[in-house]
Amino acid sequence: MKVELLLTKLVDEFSLVNQKLDSLIELNKKILKTQKEFLRRVDSDKSLVETALKLEPDPMTLLSLPMSLRTTVMALYKLEKATAEDIAKETKRLRAVESSAANQLVRLGYLKKTREGRDVYFYIDPPLEIRK
Amino acid sequence: MKAKAISIHSSRGGTGKTVIAVNLAAILANKGLNIALLDLDFRAPSLAKVFSKGIKFPVRCWLNDFLNGKCSAEHVLLDISKKYNLKGKLLIGLANPDIEAIRNIMEKSRAWEVTAVKKLFSLLSSLFNDKNIDYCIFDTSPGIQYSSINAVVSSDISVIITTLDSLDIEGTENMLSDLYDALAKRTFVLINKFSPETRLQSTENQGDIVNRVERALKHTVIGAIPCYCDVLQTERTSLLAVEKPSHPFIKNLEEVVGKIEHNI
Repeated sequence: MKVELLLTKLVDEFSLVNQKLDSLIELNKKILKTQKEFLRRVDSDKSLVETALKLEPDPMTLLSLPMSLRTTVMALYKLEKATAEDIAKETKRLRAVESSAANQLVRLGYLKKTREGRDVYFYIDPPLEIRK
Repeated sequence: MKAKAISIHSSRGGTGKTVIAVNLAAILANKGLNIALLDLDFRAPSLAKVFSKGIKFPVRCWLNDFLNGKCSAEHVLLDISKKYNLKGKLLIGLANPDIEAIRNIMEKSRAWEVTAVKKLFSLLSSLFNDKNIDYCIFDTSPGIQYSSINAVVSSDISVIITTLDSLDIEGTENMLSDLYDALAKRTFVLINKFSPETRLQSTENQGDIVNRVERALKHTVIGAIPCYCDVLQTERTSLLAVEKPSHPFIKNLEEVVGKIEHNI
């Protein structure tokens, strides 16, 4: 009798697990559908990703950046598009210091960089609404 | 001499920024130097009123339009040297006092502010390289807000005007540490409108006041200008440096000009 009761309880438990698995499968289907839709939209509008990864190095934001990075951004306000060497001439710091700061700002999303021949240029990306 | 951009700023309103900026520009222009004076106080523009006798309305291009990319640097500058019989050149750039223009500036995004500061640098480059301007003076908004930070970022030297009011001194102290030291800008403090009653002791003279404020703010104080009631009551459209060049207020400012030039 005791074994029978235990088996009945076990069947009930399995039934509950089954229900939860069914709802997880349904949820996963929804996630996959949303992901598919997101990838489709990203593919049609690359600017969505660009906007999500981009930060504005505006003068107020400057105040929250470390001094070493702040100096580089301030030089780029003036120079527009410049190599680490150009920035170093403006800030009177070492080229290696500027290269490191500019690359860090690129990784943080404040600057963009582009290669032209052997030179790497850093610049503040114009806002999308102003580019259009 | 290397061309320089000087911002005139204060922590609070009513310190006399505009009167000082306008007369500094006129004193330097009267010395035969070429000067540009830009109104970067977009929330409370005043240079359009100050120079209303010397300019033709409607203004073709405001500084707001230039920053919005609607007109070139060439069109935003008005030459008023002949109107005021100045020895050197005095070019002015005006902020639009229209309520719609003020509202428009207040709604700008952070992205727009990045473009604005870059445009300010390009305007300075055009003034110094193409128009042979010796000094460009920015009249700014009080406190820490975008238009004033943009001016401070793009200037070589900043002059902070303060009265001896304790709130003003405290505001200046905070601004010096939070903004100027953070941006590593060359900064001078100028005391304005001090009255004999503000002396701590009856024996305290102008030099003592300068030393006291210098110790409190830990920055160079380039002068202390007493309060002249007649200057406060003068029509805002009258250019004191031109109309009353021997006025003690102007004589005090000439000393300040000398110290700024010496420090440059």
